[in-house]
Amino acid sequence: MRGADYIIKRTAFAIATVFVAITINFFLFRVLPGSAVTDLSRVPHASPQLKIALAKEFGLDKSKWEQYLLYLKNLTHGNMGISFATQQPVWSELAQDLRNTIPMVALGTFLSIVIGMATGILSAWRRGSASDQISTNVAIAFYSFPTQWLAMMMLIIFAGVLPSAGMTNPFIFGTPTFLQHMKDVGVHMILPSLTLALTLYGEYTLIVRSSMLETLGEDYVLTARAKGLPQRTIVRKHALRNAMLPTVTLIALSLGYIVAGAILIEVVFSWPGIGRAVYEAVIQRDYPMLQGAFLILTLSVVFFNFVADLLYFRLDPRITE
Amino acid sequence: MSETLQLQGEKLDETAAVKRGRGGFLWQVIKDRPSAAIGLVIVLFFVVIAVFSHWLEPYDIHTQVGPVYGPPSIHHWLGLDDGGIDMTSLLMEGAKVSLIVGFAATFVAMVIGGGVGMLAGYFGGTTDIVLMRITDYFLVIPDLPLAIVIAAVWGPGLSHLIFVIAILLWTGTARIIRAQVKTVRERVYVKRSRSLGARNSRLVFRHVLPQIGPLLIANTVLTVAIAIFDETALSFLGLGDPTRVSWGTILEHAFDRTAISAGAWWAIVPAGICVSLVIMGCYLLGQAIEDALNPRLKVAHLSIKHFRLVRPLVGRGPDAL
Amino acid sequence: MRRAGRVAAVALAAGLVAAACGGSSGSQAGGAGGEGAVKEGGILRLGTMTGIDSLNPFVTFQQDSYSTFEYIYPFLVQYNTKTLQYAPDFATKWETSADGLTWTFHTVPNAKWSDGQPLTAADVAWTFNTIIKFGNGPTANFSQDFTHIDSIATPDANTVVLTYKTPVAVVLSNLQQVPILPQHVWEKYATGNGKELKLTPNTPQNGQPLVSGGPFVLTKYQTHAITLFERNPNFYGTKPHIEGFGLEFFTNDDAAVTALKSGQLDAVESIPVTSVATLKAAGLNVFIGPGLEFHDFIINSNPKKTTNPELQNPQVRQAFEYAIDRASIVKTAWLGYAQPGTTIVPPGTGAWHDSSIEGLPFDLAKANQLLDQAGFPKGSDGIRVANGHPMSYTVIFPHDETGAGDRAFQIIQNDFQQIGVKITQRNMDDSAAFAAITAPGETGYTSFDLAMWDWVPLEDPDFILSVMQCNQYGAWSDSGYCDPTYDQMYEQQASTVNVAARRRIVYQMQEQLFNDRPYIVINYQDITDAWDQHHWAGFVESNQGLFNPLSKESLTQLHQV
Repeated sequence: MRGADYIIKRTAFAIATVFVAITINFFLFRVLPGSAVTDLSRVPHASPQLKIALAKEFGLDKSKWEQYLLYLKNLTHGNMGISFATQQPVWSELAQDLRNTIPMVALGTFLSIVIGMATGILSAWRRGSASDQISTNVAIAFYSFPTQWLAMMMLIIFAGVLPSAGMTNPFIFGTPTFLQHMKDVGVHMILPSLTLALTLYGEYTLIVRSSMLETLGEDYVLTARAKGLPQRTIVRKHALRNAMLPTVTLIALSLGYIVAGAILIEVVFSWPGIGRAVYEAVIQRDYPMLQGAFLILTLSVVFFNFVADLLYFRLDPRITE
Repeated sequence: MSETLQLQGEKLDETAAVKRGRGGFLWQVIKDRPSAAIGLVIVLFFVVIAVFSHWLEPYDIHTQVGPVYGPPSIHHWLGLDDGGIDMTSLLMEGAKVSLIVGFAATFVAMVIGGGVGMLAGYFGGTTDIVLMRITDYFLVIPDLPLAIVIAAVWGPGLSHLIFVIAILLWTGTARIIRAQVKTVRERVYVKRSRSLGARNSRLVFRHVLPQIGPLLIANTVLTVAIAIFDETALSFLGLGDPTRVSWGTILEHAFDRTAISAGAWWAIVPAGICVSLVIMGCYLLGQAIEDALNPRLKVAHLSIKHFRLVRPLVGRGPDAL
Repeated sequence: MRRAGRVAAVALAAGLVAAACGGSSGSQAGGAGGEGAVKEGGILRLGTMTGIDSLNPFVTFQQDSYSTFEYIYPFLVQYNTKTLQYAPDFATKWETSADGLTWTFHTVPNAKWSDGQPLTAADVAWTFNTIIKFGNGPTANFSQDFTHIDSIATPDANTVVLTYKTPVAVVLSNLQQVPILPQHVWEKYATGNGKELKLTPNTPQNGQPLVSGGPFVLTKYQTHAITLFERNPNFYGTKPHIEGFGLEFFTNDDAAVTALKSGQLDAVESIPVTSVATLKAAGLNVFIGPGLEFHDFIINSNPKKTTNPELQNPQVRQAFEYAIDRASIVKTAWLGYAQPGTTIVPPGTGAWHDSSIEGLPFDLAKANQLLDQAGFPKGSDGIRVANGHPMSYTVIFPHDETGAGDRAFQIIQNDFQQIGVKITQRNMDDSAAFAAITAPGETGYTSFDLAMWDWVPLEDPDFILSVMQCNQYGAWSDSGYCDPTYDQMYEQQASTVNVAARRRIVYQMQEQLFNDRPYIVINYQDITDAWDQHHWAGFVESNQGLFNPLSKESLTQLHQV
């Protein structure tokens, strides 16, 4: 069966990619100059014994190859090491960061899809009209704004009106009810999510527009039109359905990258997510944290690529490569 | 000569254009598509400013000429930055560095991507598989985190920045070149069996370059846009070259030195607009060229930031590159 | 981004500040005048840009962590920020034996931890003994506070007796840096090699607050986000007026300043100088006062360094100082919120600072003249030639210094150009910068020429003076300075209990460092804190700001109006 073949192939590729990613990830970090040990052991009157102890504690005294095996072995147990900076397990720190990032990114992506689909359909429907021109050009403009710049503009415009930093009103003592908490997070999420949505939606606008236009030019659509079917029906029944294929694939694919792409937004809005963890880890030279975050980001991309592959297969079984 | 013509005759729309040479082709694109003209004008405008920045800058960019965050005035059209330095001059200097990074990174990416693509396409077989697998892995690694990691390791510097960005961008070029080399090679191979005994490699190069010229231009222009975008992102995270003024470092300084709360919008807004304009210019130009090459290819390079997202679409759809 | 202190290891510099004896400049009461009636209750929302990296005292490097410990843990002593004298904390009084070797502290009787367990001298002795026991491993960051200690005894539940082998001048300044931990919580970690002491996160678990003994109980902690504190009903001292406070961490200055402006915060510590005018215009109170932090231009002073020997030439070093325009740096980089620098003991330490030392004035002609005399003529490109190579050097520039430091560098670079010396900025993150300075290896100090960095010294000069010793190679030294006479003076001051006599030695040391110029001190940075004075009064400002790591005054006196 060619279908099964395809799925096996893609799965094998995904697994191979994960392994390569882990390996690259390891070596990328071990060839870096400037050992974090110089920092950690930088306590006054630190004895050479202490420095050795610290190096040993973090496995930095072993050969690169041994460190690699140690790393692989630990990973199989879900152990990503201990953060140099906080001395806490990397995974537990990153898990929390990831939990903070996901809702913000999810809301932003959702908004971008909604705006993108709406403007894309509008553009395709009214091809060549002023509204098409405007919506396409605005989409391209938002698309070309540097993310961090757009975020700063949002701060200039909305500072004081909407919360500009953090994920919750942090100064709540006691335990808020679930509803209060949701409302609090929601308000804080508006600016970062909106920024994310604005930087992303143009992509959807353009892709929905062009794939719909492509369909509208196809023979069967022309036939439908000739048969006198109303424009609304043609758009909904044929064009839109066809446009779903690239759109859905794009959504799946981009999900993997947005988490990584939210770094700039998280830095500007002080959002305590994985992007900011990367940024903090870079500044503190916290190798295990950086390595863990990088691995998680890579794996999320691999995973969503795989999902996109499967979706693509599901939506268009002709594709067997 | 006749063989060349024959080969090109098999191609579609671009044949006529290619016959007229690259210059002629570009001219045709611009004449037919106003968006391309707009894009070209924007890009040229900034190139001119960058080249003549030294003579155009109204003030020295190392000298304080007024109060910190002085607002726009007759003497300083775009106000002053956090060091009391003229913003207009900084933007001109920034154009230089940002464009140098953009073009240089693209050039390096072209060399790497072109090399890999040529090798893979020309030799085929195992070489092809291995090289393309490597390309695939590079496609999967999330670019911004990778850039952050590498830049953090290497330390800041203009050449490092260029190389880091190039490492992220070569994959697109590699795929395009490989596809074209393969096509041409197969054709040449077929021809050769019944005609002259010309050397395989020479034929490939003679035919490949003119064939992919326009496509390469489109790809270059789009890559420049991504490179400039990446430069602002990395510089913003403090990973650029802090001794040089680029649009990215202008934004970084404004953010770090509290331009937002100081109400100094002039330290933020113009730099972002410059970046957007260049990216938009490149996008309009690049898209118009692609459009001219293959009017049906509407989905191809839509994604500027997530250039690579398009991968499954490219290479699978009927309009594959 | 602003970070207080030097190297990621801000800690012992920024956090563990020792109080000075004597001297009176440097601290002021914030919110003085216009103080309305004391209104009980309220929650203070405090913003910070440095934040807490860890709540484990044996791990953390950040000043905010130490300020947090000050408010949740008992300390034997604290200091009075107005007089700079030591003040009682958990120890209500103390006495010294005639030979200066025995120190007896009397602690508050019948005190309790926040969980109701008794807080006694036993907790003090346990904490100190644990630090000494694991001093070569997990507790190394506090072990220096117990140098020369012989034994610790607790004759009764309210008395601690420390016995030293030799007289130590800095007993009180050391002890005010050490938080007293609840033995009943921590003793389970002090087993084996003590590794667990460093691994426990020391954060509230399962909704239970951290067992605290200070005026506040730490109830909630989220990494890089928020730390919440509530009034501790069991506190042994005067209870605070406020019900609690929160410390919110910001990745960037701008967000914090915006939050303060828009009323989402009540106060922000260490606001950037570029925001002072903005916040004043918005009707907020901005406190400007002398601080302890200074910024320095480092010249590699390792006597064993052989490359670029001209940099060891005292005339060249003098020329460099003449070519540094401190006034311009203070004005442009710091917008006036700094003072020109002279010695490594800042004026914020009060009388420890030798004010008779005057920095060399900005004088490019004089600098040029000195370099001409030294025999380094200008080449055709205007760059001087020394020992056969152009006087062109790289300046190591750590991430700590970005922002105002970049501006300072540009000013120095432009002026150096005028004296025929070319300098290039080499930006690095903090640990890479430190690695580059100590290179080759961890104690080499032979490859770097110049650098820039900052220190937040302790209030007692002992710490900042100690970093210039030969034995600090690979530890705190970032200049490679090594001089046996200096080291001798250091040992001498550390054991001179008589304040006046000790001060004479400290002055002598400052003088020597000023003349040898391992550092050219560029400027002392002011404290810049801002708060909403329409709702809050009673902040006690100090050379450590309003969230002081060595004094419980500020937030216990704070109240609503």
